[in-house]
Amino acid sequence: MRRHRKGKINSPDDRTSLCDITDGQKVVIVSMHSGRTLTKRLADLGLTVGTEIKVIGRTLFSGPIQIEACGSRLVIGRGLASKILVELK
Amino acid sequence: MMDEKKINIVLAGQGNTGKSAVFNYLTGLHQHIGNWAGKTIEKREGTLFYDGYTIDVLDLPGIYSFTTYSVEEVISREYIIHQQPDYVINIIDSTNLERNLIFTLQLLELECPIILALNMIDLAKKKGIMIDSKKLQGILNVPVIPTVASRGSGLTRIVDKVIELKGNKTEHSIHAYGKEIEDCIQQLSVLLKDNDLPYPVRWIAIKLLEKDKVITKQIGEKYPEMPEKVKQLCEKLEEIHGHDSSLVIADERSHLAYQITREIETIIARRKASLNERLDAITTHKFTGYLVMILILGGMFFAVFTFGNRFSGEFDKVFKNWYNWWNNTVGTSFPAALGWAAIESILALVQIALPYILPFYIMLYTLEDWGYMSRISFLMDNLMHKMGIHGKACISFIIGLGCNVPGCLSCRIMESKRERFITAVLVTLVPCSAVSVIVFGLVGKYVGLWWALGLYLFALIIIFIAGKISSKLSLGEPVELIMPMSDYKTPQFKTIIYQTWDASKEFVFIAAPIVVISGLVIQAINLAGWMPTISKVLSPVTVNWLGLPAITGILLIFGILRKELILVMLAAYLGTTNFSDVLTPQQMITLAVVSMFYVPCVATISVLWKEYGWKKALAICVLEILFAILLAGFIKRILDFVF
Repeated sequence: MRRHRKGKINSPDDRTSLCDITDGQKVVIVSMHSGRTLTKRLADLGLTVGTEIKVIGRTLFSGPIQIEACGSRLVIGRGLASKILVELK
Repeated sequence: MMDEKKINIVLAGQGNTGKSAVFNYLTGLHQHIGNWAGKTIEKREGTLFYDGYTIDVLDLPGIYSFTTYSVEEVISREYIIHQQPDYVINIIDSTNLERNLIFTLQLLELECPIILALNMIDLAKKKGIMIDSKKLQGILNVPVIPTVASRGSGLTRIVDKVIELKGNKTEHSIHAYGKEIEDCIQQLSVLLKDNDLPYPVRWIAIKLLEKDKVITKQIGEKYPEMPEKVKQLCEKLEEIHGHDSSLVIADERSHLAYQITREIETIIARRKASLNERLDAITTHKFTGYLVMILILGGMFFAVFTFGNRFSGEFDKVFKNWYNWWNNTVGTSFPAALGWAAIESILALVQIALPYILPFYIMLYTLEDWGYMSRISFLMDNLMHKMGIHGKACISFIIGLGCNVPGCLSCRIMESKRERFITAVLVTLVPCSAVSVIVFGLVGKYVGLWWALGLYLFALIIIFIAGKISSKLSLGEPVELIMPMSDYKTPQFKTIIYQTWDASKEFVFIAAPIVVISGLVIQAINLAGWMPTISKVLSPVTVNWLGLPAITGILLIFGILRKELILVMLAAYLGTTNFSDVLTPQQMITLAVVSMFYVPCVATISVLWKEYGWKKALAICVLEILFAILLAGFIKRILDFVF
């Protein structure tokens, strides 16, 4: 559906969880494993497979991470972020 | 006919879109804030008199979709479907167009008449985002009006449009999903054609495919064979797309929003980062962010307490005169004394509301309107998570530092019942301004400032431990933080005043009746001469276990009314305000610890009662009394070694 937004999907090894991405990097969502309710919630905010994300920053001691997607910013808890798999753009 | 001049409109939109600013601008002083029937969610209604029309305006809660994720979402969709407002004004944050359009698409599926307000169009321009509103109007087939709610610009155009279009049947363009989904919708629509539910057929079909619990249940009751059919279709979709059918639909909707946005939005390369952006980088930075937070919050409390103490002192003088006047003219008979007790309770409320709570609210809402509260949630989420709740709870804690009553009320921002309750319990342990009066007036003044600050740190640790325990006890998974982060905005004076006014009003209405009643009861007991007996009965606890003077038993009972009474009455009974003459340092600290935790004040108890039922309210009180007495006793024994 969103092929134009998707980059080429490489081997599974390239997939990392969103919380392991360094600040300032741009990534594309590859898959989401956060359960139906939360994944639906994220989709309502514009985060779906294929969405481009820029990691903006995070707080100390594995706190939440701040991202930019679809032109707006979003804060996501670290636990949830770890369930979103992404690959570098 | 009168009816023809009546219109009702509804404001709908996501959070932080300036919805409240629109509402305040349209309704001004003609607004009424209540609760949705049977819910603890605010219902904001108002009236606008314009061009001979009476326009009723309802402000729906800020939501991100029409699922059943939160009560607000259910309330909103039920209202739109059942009340059939003449127009739904969808307020959109132009700086976050794509995300906002996802909501608009869902609103369109409800097939209600819509006018789109492209709000904050000035901020979008500043960010270099150009939006072709004519084109958007063409794509969505609904009127689109650019607005700047904070200045009121464009808002009369909306009202004009509502009046102009009133009575005209609007045709919506249907936004088609992918072929497979449309097939499913088509099949379901045929089967549902003759249903007598108030919802649009296409919407029901979409909701069934989205596995909406409420709709699935309603349809299942009428069409027993439907769930099986829906299940088949969902499985078919899942087979094609590889994930849950509800996500397939949400995916396509957000993709549609993406496409529309690309078509109507041009982004112009920007000059250097704006002041707000640079501020944002500093205030959310992993080191400077915390520093700024401590400075801002610390400064805020310092300001509130300096101002409050002075102002409150002035009140004391005035009220003392009134008291003397009352005694001289009305007398000191039993009814007269009871009468004064009632008046005093009201005065006490004024004395805490005006000098402490009002300035506190003004600063709090200034921070909120600026956009700083979501930064605090972001910075504190980690710590809050260790207590099984998330960053937003921190806002309730901060409000609780001013007063526990609005603190507990603000727990409504938490998503799940479980978190609402845990947060409320923890808020009751947060030292409010009344407790701070005791801590600083007793410990801070006579034992040392560091001891007083130490007590705050101690309270923080206790709250943390209590949070850990209560999150272990209450079953259910902790909810993860998902929070849109909006840009900093110039705080709007009008919005701040409105919010402060609402919150103060709520505080007075909830607290006043219960404070007066309990004031009367305690005074009656006092006048009946039972107090010495009570202090004797309590003396095994107060004297033997806590090592305090017997009189404190009575003080602690009065303290339930409002906690700073403990200090005020102590001075009255002892006939001196120099507490160091009569209390040892360890007694002062012990008394401060008991006052901090022993029970929420009556006003807070009444909120807990209202929000969570009397059983839970009572349980919290009993637990906290036992806990505070135990804790203070141990602390006394430790302090005996120190001093």
